[in-house]
Order: sequence, then C-alpha cells, then structure tokens
Amino acid sequence: MIEVFLEWRFLTIAPCDAAEPWQLGSQDAATPIMQGIIDLHHDIFFFLILIFVFVSRMLVRALWHFHEQKNPIPQRIVHGTTIEIIRTIFPSIIPMFIAIPSFALLYSMDEVVVDPAITIKAIGHQWYRSYEYSDYNSSDEQSLTFDSYTIPEDDPELGQSRLLEVDNRVVVPAKTHLRMIVTPADVPHSWAVPSSGVKCDAVPGRSNQTSILVQREGVYYGQCSEIRGTNHAFTIVVEAVPLKDYGSRVSNQFILQTN
Amino acid sequence: MSSDLNGLLSANHMEGNKWLPHKIAHATLKGPNVVKEICIGITLGILAGSMWKMHHWNEQRKTRAFYDMLEKGQISVVAAEE
Repeated sequence: MIEVFLEWRFLTIAPCDAAEPWQLGSQDAATPIMQGIIDLHHDIFFFLILIFVFVSRMLVRALWHFHEQKNPIPQRIVHGTTIEIIRTIFPSIIPMFIAIPSFALLYSMDEVVVDPAITIKAIGHQWYRSYEYSDYNSSDEQSLTFDSYTIPEDDPELGQSRLLEVDNRVVVPAKTHLRMIVTPADVPHSWAVPSSGVKCDAVPGRSNQTSILVQREGVYYGQCSEIRGTNHAFTIVVEAVPLKDYGSRVSNQFILQTN
Repeated sequence: MSSDLNGLLSANHMEGNKWLPHKIAHATLKGPNVVKEICIGITLGILAGSMWKMHHWNEQRKTRAFYDMLEKGQISVVAAEE
C-alpha cells in the first residue's frame, strides 16, 4: 500500500526506456515529441472512457428494463426525430475535439529544425545499422562511420538485455537539437526508438529526415520496424550523454575507427 | 360472461399470470424515462472520464517535477564514475 502511494506521489527513479515484459503503456518520454504523443493519447482516452461508460450504461439499463419476463410485449416504436438529431450531432462534435490536438501535434512533428547542432545519418542494412557523423572529419578527411550489430542471443554480458543490445551505440548529446537522416542500403527498413517518439522509414532511393531533442541523458532502445527477412528486428540503441562528455566519446569512436 | 372471465383467469393462472395488467410494462405508463437515463449515463461517463483526467494531470505533474529536479541538479540520471 505504501509502495502504491509512493508510486502515485513520485515518479519512479528508473525511467522506462526499453520494452519491458507485459508492458501495457508507453515507455517514458525522453523528447518533447514523445511527451506530446502521450498527452494526445491521454486526451483521446478521456473520450473513449466517456463513450464506453455511457454506451455500457445504456445497454445494461435497456437489458434490465426490457427483459422478456418483465416486459413481454415490446413497444412498436418506429423512429424518434429529436433523439436521432441529438445522437447524430453530439457524436460528430467529439471527433472535432480529438482532431484539434491531433493535428497540432502532427504538424509540430513535421517541423524541420532550421539549424540542428548535429546531423547523423542512419543507414539500414540486412541486418545491421551503420551510422555516419558527417559533421566531423578525422585528420585524413574521413568522417566518423561505424557499424552497429545486435549482440547475438548467446553472447550477452551479465545485465544486458537479450536481443536489445548492440556493440556500438549511437552516441548523441542530450538537450541538443539533432537531425537524423535515415536511408537504407538495400531493402526498406525503419529506424524506430519508442522513448524518443521516433519512427522514420528508410526507403530505398530516398533519404528521410527527422528531428530529435533528447531531454535527459540515458540509453534508449529501439528496434527496426520494417520486417525484412530472417535475423530481422535488429536493434537500435541511442545513448544520450551530457554535452561535456560528447566530444570525448566521439573522439574515442574516431580512435577505434582508425585502429 | 362471468364464467368466461373466470375461465380466462384460471387459464392465465396456469400459464404463469403473464397477461395480468401490472405485469405488462409500457414506457409511456411505467418504465424508464429516456431523458433521465441519458443524463445519468452522460454524468457517469463524465465522472469516469474525470477520474482518468485526474490520473493524467497527476502524471504530468510528476513528469514536470522530475524534469525540474533534474534541471536544478537535485537528482541525476547519470551513473557516477567508479
């Protein structure tokens, strides 16, 4: 009981940034977009509960009042103009209340950040990811490029999640505007990270762009969302680090690449 | 005629009295008030929806408090270096 009260009063200390067994709700939001998606879901759910309770009440009361044994002779009611008008107009107002926040969120998600700090290119392969940090070049004019493979099922270390971990994570700075460019090298893929509210399709012959602003440091897990054969569902792991640590992390990646 | 009526009544008695007047309900005479039922239904729906809204506002408050504490440095999501 005390735990339930504490859970109600305070947010849990460990944010949910990966899929959990028997999970019912969304993962905790790490970006303003995901927070907006969760808020929209809650707004729509209010109407869902209202309609469900109302319709259930009407159904139960009708079954109660017009039970065959209590009411063996049914009334011959053909139509009722007033109630037909009300039951047409009132439900048509509800979608309007749903559409307003929905379209507001949709168009705000499409807003392109004019001057992102960092651009990262995510290239989907069968079946791994490669990432390019074209903003930085090494001394020999090579941009930072690395592959990211899912750690096999029989090879994880203690504490690692099965089929969710990768060997090289995408390191991004927290509280910084990023631009992700998503494209495939072969067949269609989809770069999806639920905590960030991002799902960007990788379509052959095309580069799709999405903007992300990660609000807190952490490790965020996602999975490819376009099924493409055996060994599919390879994972995406985004590690958001403090801005002051980002430079050293990128330098280390350069060193690993050079070696 | 009275014998016919007695016969009818006794026949009804054997069939379970389903034709007696007080057993036949009419919405116009005795039955549910449609407007009242709709109003009660909408009220219950709004009450249930309000409970959900309160849960939603509570979640928003917790999230806002979390990010405020994070901004002020009262909490941290970065593990300390060992």
